[in-house]
Amino acid sequence: MRGWLYLLGAAIAGAVVTTPALLVFVLGGGSVDDALFVALGTLMLVSALLVVTMRDIIQCGLAMIVAFLALAGIYVVVGAPLVAAAQVIVYIGAISVLILFAIMLTQSKAGPARLVFQTQAAPAAVAAVILAVLITLGVSATDWGETAERARLATDTLALILFQDYVLPFEVVSVLLLAAVIGGVFIAKREEDPG
Amino acid sequence: MGLANSLDAYLILAGVLFAIGTFGFLARRNAISMLMSIELMLNAVNLAIVAFGSFIPNLKADGSIIALMVMAVAAAEATVGLAIIIAIYRNRKTPLVDEYDAMRR
Repeated sequence: MRGWLYLLGAAIAGAVVTTPALLVFVLGGGSVDDALFVALGTLMLVSALLVVTMRDIIQCGLAMIVAFLALAGIYVVVGAPLVAAAQVIVYIGAISVLILFAIMLTQSKAGPARLVFQTQAAPAAVAAVILAVLITLGVSATDWGETAERARLATDTLALILFQDYVLPFEVVSVLLLAAVIGGVFIAKREEDPG
Repeated sequence: MGLANSLDAYLILAGVLFAIGTFGFLARRNAISMLMSIELMLNAVNLAIVAFGSFIPNLKADGSIIALMVMAVAAAEATVGLAIIIAIYRNRKTPLVDEYDAMRR
């Protein structure tokens, strides 16, 4: 019985993600890029909503991985394949695993059974909707001076610029990562014998 | 329609994702959920940066490089943030932020 419910849920979720993309594909003259953009965007927004609303925090973490994966697909559509690869490696490979381990380390039995949201959840929802509307209006009203076609970025061009113009920030980021690793180990370390 | 070729579509998508992250950060009780919402917001900003880099001719590869830097800083932030949450959990035995009230009493 439970298995059928999961199957039904998966079918509904698949329909929610693919229907807008199919509509865009049929109505928009069969552009594969548009359909991909809409499908991945819908998948990302739906799983992001699940991340902030679901009760079980492990499921939130898994939905976050789906959102990151959909965003990597959007990076490919917009024409930045190296950023998409870095998204998969850094976010799905490193940060998600880190967060899942932290969830396992900090889960108490009473956690999921009790309230998920703070008392200010309703004002927070109103504020988030207002923020989204403001951003949408601002983006629509502004002329960014953009080109009509998106440019696909070659990775060797990016490498040249990264290691010529951006060498100093690159090295600073490496020092920052080293400091973060040492700091993380130091803070999370169990104090066995004080003194 | 040309959605994949319009900068506005990407920016609105990023804005909605940022708003969802804002809601999660303000509304969730679990500290790790708040950290996940921050990751969503960082991802939204990254999407906007990459979209700008892809559509504005003057930016060339700068957008992608800034996005990679943001990812590295986000990784550092996640490391330190989760370490702090684990350290607090060890003292207070709860991951819920509204029960961290030691400085209010």
